[in-house]
Amino acid sequence: MNYLIPLMVVVPILAALIVNIFGGNDKTVKAISLVVAIAIPLIAIFAAVGVQYFGGHDPALIASLLPSNLVGTLAASYNTGIVYIFENIERIFIFLMGIVAFLAVLTYFAEKKKVSGPYLYLIFMGLASVTALMLSNDIFNMYVFFEITALTQVGIIVASSTEDNYEIAMKYMILGAIGGPMLLLGIGFILGTIGSVNINDIIYAISNNFVNPYSPSLVIGFALILFGWLYSAGLPPFHTIKSAVYSKARPNGSAILQGFSVLCMFAFGIAMYKIFAYIPYFNTAIILFAILAMVLSITMSAMEVDFRRMIAFLAVGELGFIALGFGIGTQYSIAAALFQATNEIVITALLFIGFGTVYYLTKTSDTRKLGGLIAVDSTMTIMVLLGGFALAGVPPFNGFQSKLMLVQAALDAGYTELAVLAIIVSVVIFFTFVKAFHTVYLQPKPKDLKFAHEKIPKATVFSVAILLIICLVLGIFPNIVTDIFITFAGGLI
Amino acid sequence: MDFQMASLFASGAFIIIGLFAAVFIDNLIKKIIGIAFIEEGANLFLICLGYKAGGVVPIFMLGMSADWFAANSAYPLPQALVLTSIVIGASTLAVMLALAMVLYRKHGTLSVSEMMGDEK
Amino acid sequence: MIEVVVIIVAVVSAIIALLQNDLLKAAILTGISGFCVAILFQLLLAPDVALTQAIVEGAIVPVFIALAVLKTRRREA
Repeated sequence: MNYLIPLMVVVPILAALIVNIFGGNDKTVKAISLVVAIAIPLIAIFAAVGVQYFGGHDPALIASLLPSNLVGTLAASYNTGIVYIFENIERIFIFLMGIVAFLAVLTYFAEKKKVSGPYLYLIFMGLASVTALMLSNDIFNMYVFFEITALTQVGIIVASSTEDNYEIAMKYMILGAIGGPMLLLGIGFILGTIGSVNINDIIYAISNNFVNPYSPSLVIGFALILFGWLYSAGLPPFHTIKSAVYSKARPNGSAILQGFSVLCMFAFGIAMYKIFAYIPYFNTAIILFAILAMVLSITMSAMEVDFRRMIAFLAVGELGFIALGFGIGTQYSIAAALFQATNEIVITALLFIGFGTVYYLTKTSDTRKLGGLIAVDSTMTIMVLLGGFALAGVPPFNGFQSKLMLVQAALDAGYTELAVLAIIVSVVIFFTFVKAFHTVYLQPKPKDLKFAHEKIPKATVFSVAILLIICLVLGIFPNIVTDIFITFAGGLI
Repeated sequence: MDFQMASLFASGAFIIIGLFAAVFIDNLIKKIIGIAFIEEGANLFLICLGYKAGGVVPIFMLGMSADWFAANSAYPLPQALVLTSIVIGASTLAVMLALAMVLYRKHGTLSVSEMMGDEK
Repeated sequence: MIEVVVIIVAVVSAIIALLQNDLLKAAILTGISGFCVAILFQLLLAPDVALTQAIVEGAIVPVFIALAVLKTRRREA
């Protein structure tokens, strides 16, 4: 029994509830949030790899108690409870998500004198649900946490008090309320065909030909789950709403939201790959959406004048790279996609928090009214520039390593066009970023630019510095994570 | 047409009605009602999967042998799942209605096209 | 026979709810439809789900919608 595995979900939920109760008392709330936020990555590091059977429903123990007419049938091998599986790959993602959440909470405390209990509640609840989404080996359990994640994402936008945030929240909510039942229906089709919602059971039943793998109900189930996945990951046709969501949240909120999206995408992507990779159109469908995501979001980001929208579209475009890796479907490309997902969490958190300081200083996000901010804090300027280089894939940062891996994987698999496309999109990302950077920081300061705050808080600079160090470490020693990813991807195929 | 098939058609009807309302009706409250119908249809679909014609309720009672029960009861897993999903649906609906009230106070209308037309 | 009647009432009241101009009536019709689905759950051998459904979709959801309608505008147009 490894009690640290369920604790990864229990601790943030408890923290969320306690923080909400102590809402008025700033010091207690701050202390609890910081302690819990640092505890989650620590738990993720120290927990041993293992499997948690909830309620003691270990299939090996139950087998002896079965009624006689079930012995030896397919149903006898099924898991009867929720199962959480914790491996090294989950460790990496939960650790990074915990670090990002910690830094976002820290930034939030530094920029706001009066903290809001509900906002922290939403952050911790979302953290708990994406952690459970990662750990769970049960698609219905994943659906439940998918819905909770969607609700917390809406809550984070609503609590952010930016202009037009309610409209965007409502739109996101309506799309989510269509995507959620579609996912549930897809799960229903799988459940109806196979009789279990546990991923291992489903794979067992399909690979041992207990059901016809090409039966229409499984294919319909795949299509519906794909729809839910597109929604949760913000791939087209949901890229516009996703980027609007990012740009309406507070900067620290957007950093966390992007982390949530990446983890949702990862968890459902892996589950879909495990179950449906044999379907002939699987790779084509995912590559198609990946290309659309990359091309559409990057084009739209190049046309934006609002720098928060611009960064948000770049973040959504980067999600396309992850989907591309999944779509190519070789061992190396999946490892590249996972590495890209890791980097994505860190780099976009850096950019959202780093560029967020511009909004903090001037209360405007229109690039036409901004300029000359390098004079305010040159350290932050340089760190944001380096973060942008990491996003675009400039050595020696981690973005370079993962994109290199992705391009190599595409070339190895014979998709030369995709490799070329990925490189072109990276170059466009680079130019878009440099343009935004130039207009915000380098061009002469407009006369009518007013400052709401004079200085950037130290905690924000510290957070961005930590994220930049993680980028650099992953860029110089990619083997820390890629070895684990390659082993994991090898196990998938 | 047997009962299970009819119920499946009903769930399909709910989903189609709901999707139509959520996509084409302009009034926000009606959109939300439509979404409630989609969720209801999905729940009904799941429950239909576990139905067994001529079976018994999946509650184990005295006097039943385990073998007979396993052969004759409805499948209880979808029912356990639907309990959760009903509650999720209700909470989603509550959040959406709260947002709709806030939006009405801001724009003075429930029409989505007018509301979203306000932002640039 | 009763099953067919319940199914028809559930679907028809859902359609009428969406055609209604008065949103308060639409809320009540949503409740009727939810309650019929609860009866359907009972007939589909899921009694505990039927109880939850009758309370949530048959009572709580219509009340929520009605409250939202009273706080906003009753007529659709």
